[in-house]
Amino acid sequence: MTSVPPPFDPELAAVLELIKDAISPALYPEDIEAVRQGPGMAMLADLDLTAGGAFEVEDRVVPGPEGSPEISLLICRPTGPAPARPRPVVYHVHGGGMVIGTNRVGVDFALDWARELDMVVVSVEYRLAPEHPYPAPVEDVYAGLLWTAEHAKELGGDPERIVIAGASAGGGLTAALALLLRDRGGPRPIGQLLLCPMLDDRNDTPSAHQMAGLGVWDRTANETGWTALLGERRGGPDVSPYAAPARAEDLSALPPAFLDVGSAETFRDEVVAFASRLWQAGGIAELHVWPGGFHGFDGFAPQAALSRSARAAHVDWLRRLLAE
Amino acid sequence: MKELAGRLTALDPDAGAAVRVIAYFDRLAETRAGVEALVRGAAVLAGVPARLVDADRRVQVRVEADGTRRDSDLAPDPRWPSAALTPDGVPALWLERAGAAPSVVDAVILERAAGAARLVLDRTRGRAPLDDPALVETLLDATAAEPARRHAARRLGLDPLATARAVAARGGRPRVVPAAGPAAEAPGVRTGVGPAVPVSDLPRSWAAARTALRFTAEGTGLDPGPRVVHADELGGIALLADLVVPGAEPPPDVRAVETAAADAPWLLTTLYAVTATASLRAAAAEANVHHSTLQDRLAHAEHLLGWPVRTPEGRLRLHLALTMRRLARP
Repeated sequence: MTSVPPPFDPELAAVLELIKDAISPALYPEDIEAVRQGPGMAMLADLDLTAGGAFEVEDRVVPGPEGSPEISLLICRPTGPAPARPRPVVYHVHGGGMVIGTNRVGVDFALDWARELDMVVVSVEYRLAPEHPYPAPVEDVYAGLLWTAEHAKELGGDPERIVIAGASAGGGLTAALALLLRDRGGPRPIGQLLLCPMLDDRNDTPSAHQMAGLGVWDRTANETGWTALLGERRGGPDVSPYAAPARAEDLSALPPAFLDVGSAETFRDEVVAFASRLWQAGGIAELHVWPGGFHGFDGFAPQAALSRSARAAHVDWLRRLLAE
Repeated sequence: MKELAGRLTALDPDAGAAVRVIAYFDRLAETRAGVEALVRGAAVLAGVPARLVDADRRVQVRVEADGTRRDSDLAPDPRWPSAALTPDGVPALWLERAGAAPSVVDAVILERAAGAARLVLDRTRGRAPLDDPALVETLLDATAAEPARRHAARRLGLDPLATARAVAARGGRPRVVPAAGPAAEAPGVRTGVGPAVPVSDLPRSWAAARTALRFTAEGTGLDPGPRVVHADELGGIALLADLVVPGAEPPPDVRAVETAAADAPWLLTTLYAVTATASLRAAAAEANVHHSTLQDRLAHAEHLLGWPVRTPEGRLRLHLALTMRRLARP
């Protein structure tokens, strides 16, 4: 199946020229270690987490899943005067295709929201595939959320107002977390923010084929990520919805969702399908498909006009979600 | 991930960066990106605000290093690195980098961005006369097809993403001016200025400008009042325009004003001063009379009109009467 891919947005196409040496569309298993050690990751993680003194930053080690190692949470608390009511919490799950990244990656998004809306940020470090295949990553994410809900008050946060959020693999893990919390009767987040989420291990949608070799995180890279997580089971009949949320039969009774994706990326069709299924299940969801966006464009090129619209949409949704 | 693009350039400030800059603008040009994207590219890659000013084509775009569009009316600093759009032309693209010698990367950014901007401007702003009446007419005509209006806007050099105002001048042709641009009024001519709207909404701005024109006055003794009226400053007063039909029998209060004015030549100017200033003292200064003279005149005017003009209610009634007088003109 081949077809003409949608064009990249002009500004984003130009940014791809800048980053193409550092970030190629594909990722093979043998590249994983090099990318983890490479300058790209260091650059992505090199952030001023205090955002110029707006946050007090702490790394806290907390219990992991039963019988597993402890996990580390990055906690950023606003330094401004405490509001009358405890602050909402954004629980952030980083991206990186299930195989790379740290709890610093992409947390600048969460910090921007938190700054705008006076929230506490908690970003979880989870074990990565292939060394730690499913269910290690999602169970770490789950354990971190349990700790966050139980200790929210200690952080000046409101356990009744936790928003779970993540981009790319972090978006997939966030969607899986929402399913786990529903099915295990865990704490109820008030919303899930799924940014270009990685949802479907089958890796066989028209957009996945259409964008092969183009942009960021193409079908090859996606296969590398899912195979690292699931091994031989990838794409087969017995993949858990907690590994690949697109596999869930029941998408009812989930927190309101925000989903977005670029029209020019592998994940386009699986994200659109997932949003449709949320509505079909009677759920609340807002979906944005950004025309000409490549995977993660709003992180790689935050200055571009399309990125500014996307980032504004995230804040708008959160503002409406948190308004009472 | 913030500013990854900019930082990739910063990592490698020499040949590698120049190659990336060239590829960046080549790609923008290939994909027919607009002027704002080009200026934004220059700002983001240079890490300082960039601005493009093409006075002939009424284009002014300024973008800050974080990608925010923020135009400025302040003149560019001649010390900033700059480039012209044409060989031997005047500077048109600036990087707002003060106090440092321009780097090689700056020079490459300016050269590539200016080159690409020239192509875009030639393509989109073309060589159309800037106030071609037929194009303006199309742009302001709500019944014209949307693509035709869009095309007219482009040909007139209007930035399709910016806002613009329609301007109605008495006895003149309709005009359209960019909202961010200089003042819209021509000196000495009664002018109604429409609200700033997206280019596709200009017919609405035009209707409002024509309404605003009805509220203007010559600013003379017989027709005192503001020569320029902005529709978006009228507020609820604009509703009067629908109630008073030009050339029809004016409302009784307007007839009272006319009768009184026939009796006292100073009356219209003096009464207008009362409605247009914040205090009687200011009104006296405006009408160029002594405070006590003003009091005498107003007592006389109240007698002629039959209602007080020094109470808040009476002042409002007077204001409405003078306003309706302008609206009732044929």
